[in-house]
Amino acid sequence: MTTPLPPGIQLEKVDDRIMTLNVGPQHPGSGHMRLIIKVDGDYIVSCDPDPGYVHRGEEKMAEYRNYVQNIPHLERPVIHDSCNILYPYCLAVEELLGIEVPERAKYIRVIASELNRCVYTLYWLAIYGIFLGHSTMFMWPAGDRELFIDLLEAMSGARVTHAYLVPGGIRNDLPANFEERCLRQVDYFEKRLKEYQAIFYKNPLLISRTEGTGILSRTDAIRLGTTGSVLRASGVDFDLRKKEPYDVYENLDFETVVRKEGDSYARSYIPYLEMFESCRIIKDAIRKMPKSGSVRTKLKPNPKGGNDEVYKRVESGRGSLGYYIVSNNRPEPYRVKISVGSFRNLICMPYLLKGELLGNMPSVYWGLNYWPVEADR
Amino acid sequence: MSTAGGIIKALNSGVKHLAVRRFTLRYPEQKLKFVGDGFQFNPETGVGIAGLRGRHILYHEHCTGCQLCSVACEGIAEAIGMVKVNETWKQNKKAIMPQIDYGKCVFCGLCVDACPFYALYMTNDYELSSFTKSALIYTPAQLALKPKISQDVEIKIDDRGATHG
Repeated sequence: MTTPLPPGIQLEKVDDRIMTLNVGPQHPGSGHMRLIIKVDGDYIVSCDPDPGYVHRGEEKMAEYRNYVQNIPHLERPVIHDSCNILYPYCLAVEELLGIEVPERAKYIRVIASELNRCVYTLYWLAIYGIFLGHSTMFMWPAGDRELFIDLLEAMSGARVTHAYLVPGGIRNDLPANFEERCLRQVDYFEKRLKEYQAIFYKNPLLISRTEGTGILSRTDAIRLGTTGSVLRASGVDFDLRKKEPYDVYENLDFETVVRKEGDSYARSYIPYLEMFESCRIIKDAIRKMPKSGSVRTKLKPNPKGGNDEVYKRVESGRGSLGYYIVSNNRPEPYRVKISVGSFRNLICMPYLLKGELLGNMPSVYWGLNYWPVEADR
Repeated sequence: MSTAGGIIKALNSGVKHLAVRRFTLRYPEQKLKFVGDGFQFNPETGVGIAGLRGRHILYHEHCTGCQLCSVACEGIAEAIGMVKVNETWKQNKKAIMPQIDYGKCVFCGLCVDACPFYALYMTNDYELSSFTKSALIYTPAQLALKPKISQDVEIKIDDRGATHG
């Protein structure tokens, strides 16, 4: 007879055939998170994602800083996509403080956030490539990313964590000859992007590993509340830039990329195709942008928000990214809630991995466009 | 497309790159050229002037010791402290000036935005590593020095691809 367990504690019944694997928490891909995977031979029986290792308390920190001092720390969760994570914050604070943004600043913000989306997507693609053992696909996007980092550096003065968008516009105007330089590099990048097709996306080795794995149906994608490329890969035409256009997106010419398959391949293909759309947006915005004018509305020192609450969301590299800000007549916000796309997409991991081969886990995991640091905030 | 054909095509697109010049920046020998002399700010219009956000430069003849840069840094990096200086300036009665700890600074440049007297700007100097933590703390005298830098490499794009320099 074994001794009885203390009340409230149960031992997990383990099948002889089942083995538990911990993937992580030290960097299974990028950022700390853990996947508790139960395998039967080579097949995954269940998967339990365990996020929260890089929780930084961003939301609480935002309650102790004023609306401008919040900028540098709020972009830390996704340093590669810092313009897009600040975008909804700026939109929300502008509505709270009742600030009008100059027209030129709106266009420059769109250009900055699209450049940033490309930086993020290329970084994501580089890791996707190395996840599947394709080291050329790590080198190429990591190298081409430099084109956009170079442009963002000229615009904002920093390679990553630009702190470029502020409530009321942008920090500084574009440098001289930026338009030409931007068009030249974006044109070159589009040419370069087409080369990715033969080596990666039309490569039979990639197709055999990703096509038909981790299928997420259209109804499941909606039911689980996924966003961004995961939702669009399952055949739902939803892009906030089209559906709820913010700033000047309604004036710009681009299309939403949708695929019906809902498998790993479609989820990896959508961000790639969206980079072409981003390039289109950048070129269109440069054409339509007012050539001169103010770029920033001056803020009062320590502006107060009034008794109000506001929710704004934008389409980031990982899906919809929203800020809910409550203010109570103080220079600091009363509450800031960040709703991120990565965390929403994580929920479909147990559904996608069930019955899948263990070898397909990396492509399914990274195809979800999940960014651990952003998800934990 | 057959599997073998696809693999050959993929290999071919990689092999073509043997003839393409390399894109990598050979960093210590080559240094990227930046626009302007670093990030600056015009307090009249409230808009910055584009440039790299590297080490700061402090103009002693403009600094009034108003501590606005230090206040702006509170809650961000807390890298700026005000220290006494052995200088007498008409505009700086208290004789205090900012001292910046680059072990803490995040290079957001909000201190430059806060300065209303054209005294604090940023420069193109980004090579600040040192062997000790204390050497990362730059005194007002160190911050006044203009950096000596040679940065001349740009991304060049032609028919054969893109290169650095």
